[in-house]
Amino acid sequence: MMTNQTNRRRFLKDLGISAAAANLMLNLPSLGHAGSPAGKQRLVFIFSPNGVIPKHFWPEQTGSDFELKRILKPLEDVRSQVLTLHGMCNQIKGDGDGHMRGIGCLLTGIELFPGDIQGGSDTPAGWSQGISVDQYLKERLQANEATQTRFGSLEMGVMVPDRADTWTRMSYAGPNQPVAPIDNPYQMFDKLYGQTQNRALLASVLDDLTADFKKVERLIGQDDRQLLQAHVQLVRDLEQDLHLEMKQRSESKAGHRVPSLPPNVEEENDNIPLITRMQMDMLVNSFVGDFARVATFQITNSVGQPRMRWLGIDEGHHELSHEPDSNAEAYEKLIRINTWYCEQVAYLAKRLAAIPEPGGEGSMLDNTTLVWTNELGKGNSHTRNNIPFVLVGGGLGFKTGQALDFREVPHNRLLMSMCAAMGHPANSFGNPDFCGDGELTGLS
Amino acid sequence: MNVFLPNTWTSLLRSVTGGLPACLALVALLGIGAGATAVAVETDEQLRERGQAIYKSSCADCHGTEGQGEESIYEERLEGDDSVGQLADLIADTMPEGSPEECEGEDARAVAAYIHYAFYSEAARIRNRPPRVALARLTGNQLRQSLSDLYARFRGLPSGKLRPGVSAQYFDGDRWKKDKRKAERVDPVIDFDFGRESPVEGVDPKAFYIHWEGGIRADATGRYEIVVNSSCSFVMDFGAQDREFIDNHVQSGDKTEFRRSIHLTAGRIYPFAIEFIQRKRKTEIPPARITLSWKPPGQEERVIPARNLVADWVPATFALQTVLPPDDRSYGYERGIAVSPEWDASTTAAALEFAQIAYGELWPTYRREQRKQPGSDRDKMRDFLIRVVETAFRAPLSDDDRQIYIDRHLDQEPDDAEAIKRVLLVALKSPRFLYPQADRDRSRSLQVANRLALTLFDSLPNDDWILGEALAGRFKTESAVRGYAAKLVNDERVKAKTREFLYGWLNISHFGDLAKDPEQFPDFDNALVSDLKDSLDAFLDEIVWSESSDFRQLFLAKSTFTSQRIADYYGEAWQPSSEDASGASGSSELIATVEDPSHFGLLTHPYLLSGLAYHDATSPIHRGVFMIRYVLGRTLRPPADAFAPLSPDLHPDLTTRQRVELQTSPVSCQICHERINGLGFAFENYDAVGAYRTLDHEKPVDARGTYTSRTDEQVEFNGVEELARFVAGSDDAQRAFVARAFQHFVKQPPAAYGADTLEQLTKQFKDNQCNIRQLIVDIAVLAAQPDDLRTNPSLTAVSQ
Repeated sequence: MMTNQTNRRRFLKDLGISAAAANLMLNLPSLGHAGSPAGKQRLVFIFSPNGVIPKHFWPEQTGSDFELKRILKPLEDVRSQVLTLHGMCNQIKGDGDGHMRGIGCLLTGIELFPGDIQGGSDTPAGWSQGISVDQYLKERLQANEATQTRFGSLEMGVMVPDRADTWTRMSYAGPNQPVAPIDNPYQMFDKLYGQTQNRALLASVLDDLTADFKKVERLIGQDDRQLLQAHVQLVRDLEQDLHLEMKQRSESKAGHRVPSLPPNVEEENDNIPLITRMQMDMLVNSFVGDFARVATFQITNSVGQPRMRWLGIDEGHHELSHEPDSNAEAYEKLIRINTWYCEQVAYLAKRLAAIPEPGGEGSMLDNTTLVWTNELGKGNSHTRNNIPFVLVGGGLGFKTGQALDFREVPHNRLLMSMCAAMGHPANSFGNPDFCGDGELTGLS
Repeated sequence: MNVFLPNTWTSLLRSVTGGLPACLALVALLGIGAGATAVAVETDEQLRERGQAIYKSSCADCHGTEGQGEESIYEERLEGDDSVGQLADLIADTMPEGSPEECEGEDARAVAAYIHYAFYSEAARIRNRPPRVALARLTGNQLRQSLSDLYARFRGLPSGKLRPGVSAQYFDGDRWKKDKRKAERVDPVIDFDFGRESPVEGVDPKAFYIHWEGGIRADATGRYEIVVNSSCSFVMDFGAQDREFIDNHVQSGDKTEFRRSIHLTAGRIYPFAIEFIQRKRKTEIPPARITLSWKPPGQEERVIPARNLVADWVPATFALQTVLPPDDRSYGYERGIAVSPEWDASTTAAALEFAQIAYGELWPTYRREQRKQPGSDRDKMRDFLIRVVETAFRAPLSDDDRQIYIDRHLDQEPDDAEAIKRVLLVALKSPRFLYPQADRDRSRSLQVANRLALTLFDSLPNDDWILGEALAGRFKTESAVRGYAAKLVNDERVKAKTREFLYGWLNISHFGDLAKDPEQFPDFDNALVSDLKDSLDAFLDEIVWSESSDFRQLFLAKSTFTSQRIADYYGEAWQPSSEDASGASGSSELIATVEDPSHFGLLTHPYLLSGLAYHDATSPIHRGVFMIRYVLGRTLRPPADAFAPLSPDLHPDLTTRQRVELQTSPVSCQICHERINGLGFAFENYDAVGAYRTLDHEKPVDARGTYTSRTDEQVEFNGVEELARFVAGSDDAQRAFVARAFQHFVKQPPAAYGADTLEQLTKQFKDNQCNIRQLIVDIAVLAAQPDDLRTNPSLTAVSQ
């Protein structure tokens, strides 16, 4: 028995996963969420670029009796979990063009540093001067044993350009500390399951290795076999450890298996739908395994240029977003592009809604809030007033199934409300000048 | 004609006198005999036989019948390198414990002769337990080097004459535009403060772009910190083109310092490029400045000096980042003689790390190169993997092998990344890769290529020429092997391995903190210590890689390397030889010194002398032990107890020499200290930081010393000059150097290649004017002998 215990501990260490995650994986009594009476709370920020077509986005009515317009239609199935927040304004001024401040101040609520990135017509800027709300919450959740997880937060992306600049970063670990999203699903898989996967791979080649040793032994003098035999013994011990480990894993009923990804998917524009699906599936899996409580999911970047050829749209999104409303063709395409983004949000929501909360009440969506947002309110005006904030799910405990309109409030106040709802209220978030009126009222 | 003392008579005498008193009786008898020359000269055998009898009766109880020691009485094995004479003196003075007068004179000599022959001496030990070439796995260092060369199989190694510095192109405007290039030159280092001025003529200071590229040479294996300080946007690639290392594409706020640490493997040159951009903007531009610095393992942070920069194109390089457990060093050199779960896990991690780079960098390039060839991607991947595995196994794969190591894994795994991972995991954990000596099934030429690479640079053969020659069976004659070894010996990798060898020989890596008493030595700071280490490195390189490569110059050279900082501190003897050398105070750039009569190569180098001193005083004991153990290669027992040195404050009137003499005066100390102090005192003209002095505690320095060689030769010297002249020509020192070199390069004891290997190599070394490079070639050629020739010397040598 002692040996088994030791071995198990050793391979858990080798796997590099937290005790809580391992317990879940191996279907052992969980220690992880025993201490949180309110149950698990998750928060996911989903970003899509270039503003929306407000007329086909925002519900016309407020309150619970509202109609989902064309772009939001895909959320119909989870309508009771939807909360639309009109009137959120990113009022941060200072250096940087609208797109830069649009994404760089979106989750940070604070100005950008002066820098050398010259965009559009404004003054040049660098990185954000403060931490973003996802990283702020991650720090606090990780500091508390009851809410600690293996990663704390995950930063996922889809086709984020391979360059670090103000337009490609939404999440900040602190001033001047942008966090790069991982947009390669295989890289994300490696981060999440690399070690587990490598253990399985190792287990599968040990037979080959043992056979190899037998052959090589013949090339070694009698006096020297001892070293080789000691080595073979190591391989056998490892084989036993891995055998046990694989057995326990396959017997695990926690529903959390290592997902399998389609092979050889290149990072290319036309693979955006597939990559989005792969990333979202991994995000769901990570939540089942309680790898993290906070995530960002960044589809392309601020000023993103996906060409949605799968919708029959050959132009890049950003290019189209500059067209005047009078360009009916472009207008229609922008509605369809944004509807496609919404379908992705809906996919993630529905997957979470379909899975019972592991070790908790209700569905996973009941304990998760998806926040779909954008760097702009509207593409061709570059306004950062009325930026999209569509919330889906019950993670924050806000009252859902309603459309709200706050008229015109700094979005810092919403960031404060999110902190409070996650159990970590702050006197201000980002630039305090925009926080004077405190958290928003009427959300719960 | 000699008259022998008949055995029977000895026995008779012994039986008459019985036990210990026999010693006295014999001494008396021989004393008489010596007077009357006709009597009694024992043969060596007789002497030993007599010694054996005394040993059995008087010594074995404590020391064991074979000198192996007895538990809880005297546990240490009786072995060492004292001559019979030295042993006899020791026995006469100290044994048996408590009553040394019971065994003196000829009795002591008999016991000494017996134990020396039977088990004490190195020859006895080799005779009793002939060492053999033991199987070893790759050491950590060999694993690193082998993987670097496995990568280099596809990318090549730097070649041609490499210029120091970094190549630079200056552009007007903030991007690469050929017709806007205003300057193309080699910058010695990257350390610029342009302010708001134009960096070169014709460039607009408000918007410019500088492209630096070249290589960074790592002299030692270990963790480095690369530090870029830049007030402007820059992106740095390192290790390969497009392998992004530091991304400061966005200049933001006051953030100007960027650090990243990375484990580098010695003897490799890592390509790098920096794109430095002052961007045009609407607001006022900040002053432009940039420095490229590093913090090498165990050294201070400083601008990467020109000698570590290469201004020419160098191929992409792989340095393993996986942490590997340390190897056994119980014999003073690394050996892969044990396996552990930690080690096994590290080989898995290393294989996976390599698989990642193979998939991410090697395979895409290979596929691109082969795009015009017929065949599917999978066919090409198979060819690619065959090439990787054949290089790793140091041999071609048979059809069966291809099936086992490659084909069936490819068949099982549709995902490219996973397929490559799988094949490499099997191959790089295979004993065929991890145990390079398991090569009996290869052709002789392949074995030679394999062993030379292992001996000379801890790695595997990987260039087309060598693999072609080996496959064609061209390394059958000794001259062919020698020719190949001589060709390889100037390789960067051999230089790195040689430096590691010299560090081990001098035991430098065991130096602790060199900090000195700030009151006595106020300006002796870390920056100076780093410069001194660089100076020592440059000196070693200069001697070894000069035309004559003369070992003796390590002790006799009158000139060494200095920097402005060193010159400022050490004064006249450390001034640079040429006037044109830039003399900026505090500069670390190395320049040769003038020849100075106080310089004797290594022996007066301040890095060594400070390392072998206390923080406030010299330590003749450390310096003496260093000489005995490392330079002269003699064995020393550790002291019976730990002693704290006498404080200079308690004996303000004594010189250091007098204080050491006082503390080590007891007989039990003198056994070893007689030898240690005799060598250490010779350095007393050099203080705790290695600066020359003539007074110690206001008294003239007494630097007289003595040494008794392995062959009982008594040497006297006054000061380092005489000591240096002795050491340079000393058999002991040369033998020690050869022995160390052999162990370091081959990682096996020399006697495993024949009992007289060391003597032969030492003789060759002497005959070759102590040429170090030639020695390395000789060692490599010897170690490249296939096993059957070694174990059956009756077979003719490879030269047939």
